[in-house]
Amino acid sequence: MTLLENWIGNPRLKVAVAVLCALGVGGFAGCRQQIKLWELPPEEIETTLFLIGDAGEPDPRQVGPPLDSLTAQAAAAPERSVIVFLGDNIYPAGIPAEGAAEWADARRRVEAQVRAVPPGAQGIFLPGNHDWSNSGPFGLYAIRLQEQFIASLARGRGVRLLPGNGCPGPVSTDFGRLRLVSLDTQWWLHSFIVRDSVSNCPVNTMAAVTDALRAQVRPSGDARIVIVAAHHPLITGGEHGSYCGVTGPFRRFGGRSQDIMSSGNRTMRDSLRSAFAGRPPLAFVAGHDHSLQVLRGGDEVDYLLVSGAGAPAKVSCAVRLRESYYVSGRSAGFMRLDIMKGKGVLLRVFRYPGRSTGALVYSRWLEPR
Amino acid sequence: MSARPLYLDRQRQLLRALHFFVAAAALYAPALARGQTPTSLPVLAAEATPIGALPPVALPMPASRDHNYWGTRLQVGQRRERGLEDLLAVAAGVDYQVRGGSIFGVTAGYQWRQNCQSTNGDCGHTLYGARARFNLITGGPTIAGVLGDDGATSTLGTELGFGFAPDVNDAQNACTLDVGLPLSIAMLERLHLVTFLTPGVVWDLDCSAGDTKPQRSYFMGFGIGLQQLGFRGLDVNIGVQRMFRGATGVQFGVTVSWIRLP
Repeated sequence: MTLLENWIGNPRLKVAVAVLCALGVGGFAGCRQQIKLWELPPEEIETTLFLIGDAGEPDPRQVGPPLDSLTAQAAAAPERSVIVFLGDNIYPAGIPAEGAAEWADARRRVEAQVRAVPPGAQGIFLPGNHDWSNSGPFGLYAIRLQEQFIASLARGRGVRLLPGNGCPGPVSTDFGRLRLVSLDTQWWLHSFIVRDSVSNCPVNTMAAVTDALRAQVRPSGDARIVIVAAHHPLITGGEHGSYCGVTGPFRRFGGRSQDIMSSGNRTMRDSLRSAFAGRPPLAFVAGHDHSLQVLRGGDEVDYLLVSGAGAPAKVSCAVRLRESYYVSGRSAGFMRLDIMKGKGVLLRVFRYPGRSTGALVYSRWLEPR
Repeated sequence: MSARPLYLDRQRQLLRALHFFVAAAALYAPALARGQTPTSLPVLAAEATPIGALPPVALPMPASRDHNYWGTRLQVGQRRERGLEDLLAVAAGVDYQVRGGSIFGVTAGYQWRQNCQSTNGDCGHTLYGARARFNLITGGPTIAGVLGDDGATSTLGTELGFGFAPDVNDAQNACTLDVGLPLSIAMLERLHLVTFLTPGVVWDLDCSAGDTKPQRSYFMGFGIGLQQLGFRGLDVNIGVQRMFRGATGVQFGVTVSWIRLP
């Protein structure tokens, strides 16, 4: 009898193989995430926050998903909808100097996003590293130009760039019991000029920004929800986290400030986290990596959301981390947070192309009802 | 308010899972068939040290780059079909995962011959090991496309291990050095199912004599595990390993590991 026959005939190994198969098949059958389609009574929703990032590469021919889908959802109840564009609103290098060949195309890119904010809804654009002239020396001026662009395209509607004027923030905006704190994290990482004689920022040192943030994430009132929005994530399983592809493990040696592993990025994240200590915000939302990720935040913040898949042409890889609740790494999409009156915050993740049952691919109560 | 759960593409996923496991089994079966009839009873160095005495384990699950993680591990392994006596080993280990990626660990345990008739006390021995596992490439899109799972993650790594076991055969010490190229594929969301292959080569030495030429053996491990089993840091792996050398039989075992998350 051959070893294989012995092996197959062995009753204990048969049991072992059965366990292996049961685990494998059972895992597939029972452990896959089940999507819950929560039907929220519209009158109980106080604010709906849409999170879309890195949307600065829209199709020049047509508005496709996810922008058009986001617009359709926001248009259903524009008076309570806030759309947050999480930076990198204009690829590849923000608004160029007037007269440059890329000027008209840059305008086209941001215009597509401003138009995605339906009348009556509010839009908040955060700056990203590409908006800062792709981390270049023209960055501060590119941000100011983008702010002017957005203001002119908005035509008096509630659409603006925050923080403005190349300032680091934080800037707090209250929507009912939601406090949205906007940060310009590229200000922390930029290697060129970040202020000049016309900046007039309320705070303009890293320590002062951290102190201001510490104060703003502690609003009075127990029912308040604090969400901090910025371009750079605190944790990511994407390329900027030194994952994905052959070059991933070696990016840490490159010292690129845009990557999680760099010392400058680490300093920024440590400072932000220190501001959250003792009063964790409900979520820190960001883009930067072109994927959709829902992560466990830890002691300083309850949830970390990465919603940087706003442009189908830019979507990229993301891997599942031990902190991950949900990961989608090769599809465009956005996230939606419904802040309920009284108590309850529901997160929903929409992805395009969706599954056979639709674009909703993940939902979770970040604050239980 | 009402909730309506949807069971998405269950049959399609099930079929893919079955195909995957059939393919993995087909890969492993020829290796078993090539096993040879036992020719010697002494425990080889490669069988006595952690690389051969303990079951293979999946590469560590990636985690946040912000933290280093301490973990502990319990392993039980049985080497069967090697001749007269099966070998049973239990071990415990401590692991240190550096910034959510590579992992360094030490192991200590005990291995004994089952149904041993010896009266001179050489039925068992302690074993020790140190192992570094480096995650080289962690990605997912291609695997995710094949498996139809958004979050499927593949990790290709390399590992380097050193093992030592004193008084294995007639007071001879055993030492091994091994190099591997493990591959892990993790899928599913709520509970992560990981499938792994651990091919490698091990050199075994007689540490006592010092004049013996190192002997090289190739090995292949295969297994599946469940990561984040109820707790975010708890993993359970079941693995089998075949060493392509004489009467070394088949290794089968279970590893339970726990990583402390901040």
